[in-house]
Amino acid sequence: MGDSHIVAVESDDNVATAIRELNGGETVTVDVGDNEVTVEVAEDVTFGHKIALEDIPEGETVYKYGLSIGYASRDIEAGEWVHAHNVESNYGRGDLAEETA
Amino acid sequence: MTDFLGYERSDGSIGIRNFVPIIATAPYANDTVKRAAEIVDDAIPITHPLGRCQTKPDVFQTYRTLLGYATHPNTYGAVVVAHAGEIVDGDELADDIAETGRPSASINIHDEKGVMNGLKATVNATREMVQDASAQQRQPHDISNLTFGINCATSDTTSGLCQHKATAGAAWRLIDEGGRAVFAETPEFFGGEEGLAERAVNDDVAQKILDYVDNWDQRLQETGYDVRGAQPTPDNMDGGLTTIEEKALGALVKSGDGPIQDLVDYAEQIPEESGMYIMDSPGHGAESVTGIGAGGAHFMIISTGQGHTLSNAIMPTIKITGNPGSAERVPEETDVDVSEALVGDQTIDWATDELWDEIMEVVNGKQTLSEVLGESQFAIHRIGPST
Repeated sequence: MGDSHIVAVESDDNVATAIRELNGGETVTVDVGDNEVTVEVAEDVTFGHKIALEDIPEGETVYKYGLSIGYASRDIEAGEWVHAHNVESNYGRGDLAEETA
Repeated sequence: MTDFLGYERSDGSIGIRNFVPIIATAPYANDTVKRAAEIVDDAIPITHPLGRCQTKPDVFQTYRTLLGYATHPNTYGAVVVAHAGEIVDGDELADDIAETGRPSASINIHDEKGVMNGLKATVNATREMVQDASAQQRQPHDISNLTFGINCATSDTTSGLCQHKATAGAAWRLIDEGGRAVFAETPEFFGGEEGLAERAVNDDVAQKILDYVDNWDQRLQETGYDVRGAQPTPDNMDGGLTTIEEKALGALVKSGDGPIQDLVDYAEQIPEESGMYIMDSPGHGAESVTGIGAGGAHFMIISTGQGHTLSNAIMPTIKITGNPGSAERVPEETDVDVSEALVGDQTIDWATDELWDEIMEVVNGKQTLSEVLGESQFAIHRIGPST
């Protein structure tokens, strides 16, 4: 059984939420559906923030709750902190509407 | 069948409080309203920057919101204060209040020859109403009369995993008893709208959900800016929420997974039929909660991650968190701490029971933290520009 304080909601999620502080360098095991995923945490991660459960190449969808929460704005490696510095939204993107207009 | 002790109104609604709001129709009556409410104990001041120089859709929305508060189930009667002739008309509002059988009074500062006489007239009208209200007794009524308001505030990643589940559990418990519940914040359906539409009771409601979400996406795109920074808010992002979709998917957990009965516009009355409703509102908590209050929800659950002052003067506001750090950091903004269901050995069912017990005490008269501390915000959502 995985660490109960790191939560993946659905089996196809590629990120999990830390319900405790994570330290860079520690190895964690996360229950993802019926599987266990073990990753090395790349950096310190605050309570409530997310880590990648697998490599997510730039442009690929980031999944939580089994649904898209945006796309990777650069390559993300398994164990990396996943947040606004490497994920972008697909909604309310007036900035992109202007670029393509 | 479960009973609660409430105040009966002549329009058939049952209140859990017996408030007398003093309502400004325009900003130029705000000071008179605030001063009168300082003098008369238990009067609720309702002030805002709108009601003047607005285009028609905003005038309707402002009027509907103010009328919703004046004729709320928790409202005994209301005093309307206007400055002079305004597009939101004080006499018309007072007449519409009286139509529900509630006491109403209309004060016009110009007609009273200025602010001093206007204040005196407002105080006298309010004093009389508050005294009459204090003579009314609570009577037993079935809880199917109640409408449950749901909003989140300063969400973090604990919200979708814990406190929102307890909130949904309690809301559906009331619906199962014949009551109704309403949640709002349409931009917080982004990314979850397909699943939400599948929960609609029919195709029309499903299409309405998709249309309302699309309307918000268009409004945000028309600004020419990336929504991020506005949503998720900086406090959401500190809590670990990365995009508006992630915030949305967590936010939707607070409505559970049962059928969606219908959608109503901002500040529109919630229908009487039992079930779960959606009100179209922004994710801006003060504006959203103000709309839900105008719709007639008796009480409000603020399901929060990081803690929040968000509360409403007419709808008693119960704040629940499942974030143990927040419960410790801001105890004055935590009515119900269910963090043991997230980080301890307790279950979500336990968390739901904890919230339900608190709700039953509050509907019967127990004051919430924000009521005792006098915390409330009032912010009507505006659609377009002022003129």
